This record gives sequence, C-alpha cells and structure tokens, in this order.
Amino acid sequence: MSAAEDQAAVEKVLSGDNSAFEGIARRWQGPLVNLAYRFCRDPSRAEEMAQEAFLRAYRSLSQWRREAAFSTWLFALATNLYRSELRRIPVRTVPLDDVMEPMEQPAIDVGLQAGDRDRAVRRLVFALPRKYREALILFYFHGMDVASTARSLALPVGTVKARLSRGREMLRSKLSQQLMPLQLRKEAR
Amino acid sequence: MRDDDLDRILSSQQEIIPSSGFVDAVMDAVRRESEAPPMPFPWKRALPGLFAACFTLVSVLVAAITPFTRGTPTRALPTGLSALDLILQAWQTIGGNWIALALIVSLASVKLSMRFVSGQVG
Repeated sequence: MSAAEDQAAVEKVLSGDNSAFEGIARRWQGPLVNLAYRFCRDPSRAEEMAQEAFLRAYRSLSQWRREAAFSTWLFALATNLYRSELRRIPVRTVPLDDVMEPMEQPAIDVGLQAGDRDRAVRRLVFALPRKYREALILFYFHGMDVASTARSLALPVGTVKARLSRGREMLRSKLSQQLMPLQLRKEAR
Repeated sequence: MRDDDLDRILSSQQEIIPSSGFVDAVMDAVRRESEAPPMPFPWKRALPGLFAACFTLVSVLVAAITPFTRGTPTRALPTGLSALDLILQAWQTIGGNWIALALIVSLASVKLSMRFVSGQVG
C-alpha cells in the first residue's frame, strides 16, 4: 500500500466505509507495534498501546491535514499517545546512577562479549531521563532521521539534536563506568 | 565508545511481529466504536444546574436593571437616554466586561483541552 492508497483508504473511511480502515491497520501494524515496543519493552503492552493508537487515529482521521504525509501524522499521534500512556503507567526503570555495575566475573570468558555490551547499552537507554530516552528511541526508530524525530515529538530540530547529543553523552559516560572494570580484568589476565 | 558504535547498537533493535489477531482486534474495536449509539445528553442530571443557572441569570439582570427603573415606572426615559444607553449602563453595573472575559477564557480553555485530548496533530 502506497501513500496514495493510504489517502484513498482514509477518504473511504471518512465517507462511511469503515472496512477500508483494515488496509491502514494491516500496513501500519508492524511499525506502530514496534514503536510501542521500543517505548515499553513489553510485547503485550505494545499491542494494547498500538491498538489504542489505531482507534484514536480512526476517531481523528478527519483531523489529518493533507499537507503532511499520513505516516507522519500517524506516528506523531501514536508517539503522543505512547508518551502519555507511559507517563500514566511508567515502565519500571532504574535511575541512571543506580544501574548496577557487574559484580561477577564471567564464568567462561572474561572477555567482554559484544552481545553483553549491546545489551548494556539498550538497558542504559531505559535508565536515561525521559526526554533524552524519547529522543533516542524515536531517532533510531526513524532510521536516524532527525527531522522525522522532531515531527513525531512536535519539537524543533535543534532541540532534538541537543537532546540526542546529551543523551548519547550520558550513555557513553555511564557505559564506560560499567565496562571499565570488566576491561581491566580482561587486560590483567 | 564512538557514535558509530552507539548508532550500530541502537539501530539493530529487536523487532517484534504483531500477533495474528491484531488487525482483527483493531477492526473489532473500530466496529464497536462506529456502532456505539451516541451518548445521550444527561438531561436528568443537567436540569437542576440549568434551572439554577437560569435563575441566577434572571436575578442578576433584575438586580442590574431595577435601579434604573425603580420609582419611575411611568416616567419617560430621560432625554437622550436611549434603550441602548440603558443596556450599556446595566452592562457596566453587572461588570459585563469581566463576564465576557471570563467566558472567553473558559471557551479557550475548553477548546485547548479538547485539542489535547483528541491528540490533534499533523
């Protein structure tokens, strides 16, 4: 389904053919569920949030102004909903300074595995303050497109760039604190 | 860690596949939404408030106009004092400008709230 088909489906729904909304739901279910999953890291909650986003999109279809792409409007609406939802019932996160550093040596390989590092980075994203976490989540969801991130967050591009920069800086700082002991142990052997 | 490494790690996030019944669940919700009868206006609950509001409005108007009409029921209006002047004086007496301002602020706040609730974007 292309952007033109999205628009045609929207027109049909607005003229009373609700079944046309199924095409929209089929096309965008993956992106909306995955965006929700990046916010909450819980597959079933992600589906619930995405379903609510579709329902809200259905109710608000008449408010879509055609100068913006349908996907832009849909992502902004979903982002707005997900952020509100997570403010209402937050994901259980640990403050950045309280993220525990690894206490035990790895049993078999003392070397720092790439997988461990990747997991540590993703865990740390969730320990960032909300405004940096949201900017980072959306930036990588949108394929590192700052403009799309800014549109989804309804923020100026400059603000988003500043948040991304600060978020990355906090991540790097905390990550180096976490990984340094492991690296030193590896070098000592 | 360099930016490139962070970009690589955070770009390669795990993707999930929506469950097979997801679209059906969305369409069920959409059907329920479209078939639900419009919520009836709660007249029973609103009537006491409406009566009270009407009573208050009438009382305020009577209280505002009485000083201009008391004791001169049959006398003609003073020269040059038209009905419009009378209304303007009553308007000033009841603080009409403040009432109008309060109404505008209330309307703006309701509109703004509805805009937030509906998540109007794009």
